[in-house]
Amino acid sequence: MNGSAAISLAGVTKRFGGDDGVLALDRVSMDVADAEFVSVIGPSGCGKSTLLRVIAGLIPYDSGDANLLDRPIDGPSSAVGVVFQKANLLPWRTVERNLRLAVDIRGTAGADLDARLAGMLGMLGLKGFASRYPHELSGGMQQRVAIGQALMANPRVLLMDEPFGALDALTRDRLNVELLHVWQAARKTVVLVTHSIPEAIFLSDRVIVMSARPGKIVEELKIDLPRPRDPSTTRTLPQFGEYVVHLFDLMGVNASE
Amino acid sequence: MKRWLNRGALEATLFFVALGILWEYAVRAGDIKAYLLPAPSDILSEMWRSRTALLEHGWVTLQEVLSGFAFAFVFSPILAVMIFFVPVLRRTLYPLMIALQSIPKVGLAPIVVVWFGYGLSSKVLMAFLFAFFPLLIAALGGLKATPEHLVEHFRALRASFWQTLVQLRLPSAMPAFIDGCKVAMPLAVIGAVVGEFIGSYEGLGNLVMVASGSANSSLTFAALIAVTLLSLVLFWIIEVLGRLVWWQAR
Repeated sequence: MNGSAAISLAGVTKRFGGDDGVLALDRVSMDVADAEFVSVIGPSGCGKSTLLRVIAGLIPYDSGDANLLDRPIDGPSSAVGVVFQKANLLPWRTVERNLRLAVDIRGTAGADLDARLAGMLGMLGLKGFASRYPHELSGGMQQRVAIGQALMANPRVLLMDEPFGALDALTRDRLNVELLHVWQAARKTVVLVTHSIPEAIFLSDRVIVMSARPGKIVEELKIDLPRPRDPSTTRTLPQFGEYVVHLFDLMGVNASE
Repeated sequence: MKRWLNRGALEATLFFVALGILWEYAVRAGDIKAYLLPAPSDILSEMWRSRTALLEHGWVTLQEVLSGFAFAFVFSPILAVMIFFVPVLRRTLYPLMIALQSIPKVGLAPIVVVWFGYGLSSKVLMAFLFAFFPLLIAALGGLKATPEHLVEHFRALRASFWQTLVQLRLPSAMPAFIDGCKVAMPLAVIGAVVGEFIGSYEGLGNLVMVASGSANSSLTFAALIAVTLLSLVLFWIIEVLGRLVWWQAR
């Protein structure tokens, strides 16, 4: 086992609904290094969300070894921040109070909380929206608040399940860029579940491809594209196109099985 | 000022005035006996004549209604939380509550009066019984309506049971609970008045019984209108207070 791995799974298996139920994860093994950005892609129903929930400690796994920061995963960890497709915002809390939700719950508010909140609002491009309520924001802004909330708790590992899945393409591109800025500044370990191949390539150091029924890893693709990445230049690189074609082939083959 | 002259209010006012005039005309032209159906003008003058009595009896009824409602308002969420989180209570207490709810509570009134006497407490209990079940059901429904993704989020945040209850479940349940209050408040009024019918010394229900016993139909109608106004005002207060809970948990 790699000592510097932030996340390390070995032969993790998860079955839903008894012995003859769906095999959601079939002996999944993967390592994610500290400060690495890894995306998981695959057809719907391939267990990528299950994988993320296992890492988050939200659901138990049946067999295998799963470690997070060198400790076995046996429940949610305060070193982890989670962002889901549906922005996890409380409708009765303002943007600012939603941002501090994780901090409030964990009781880790420091003396510098107000300054950190102001800084986070600025970084998210939400200055002037501190006292707005979620229903007054667009979907993209809501998702930014949700990501900000996870970041406010200063997690070492950020797990994201289709965080931009419900957004329009333009907003999605913009948030991708912002996410890279945040990641580069704070150097978190990120695992992103997505169904968008270009998004996975654009953001990641490594892309893990899963197949469905049983859910297993079929390929790990290292993305050797220079950083910092930029939507207009990175996507026009010839390697970018090669990666896209390769992954489309891979997923197309699996889909016709 | 133009706001007060909006079309909806104008239409409603005209409609009710027309209805009153029609009623008045029908009673006079049809020569209907006053003890059968008093004319609106008779009722209105009776209300003015008996205004002190109406206010005094109304005050008694108001206290009964508000006390009974307050008990229901406090205890129904507590019981709802217990039933929601403790499986053994869900299997025992909840069926008992459903069974009790199925008893026609009007039929309970005589027993309640025998147990608690002609005074305030029996009417408070009646108001409570009428208000409690809708509030319990509303609170339970609200607790169940908490979005699963937020519950999972709180789990990921490692929130404690009490943090999840106070910061997530209860606020999520508030909109449904307020709707329950809108149902329960008029029911509490009915409960108190039914209690007064069965046995009481005072209250608007008592006034209705006394007035109809002496064939004073104008006063009977006046007291009924007072009950209706009381109920409407209380409903309106909840409506206004309920606007503080503007969110819908999604």
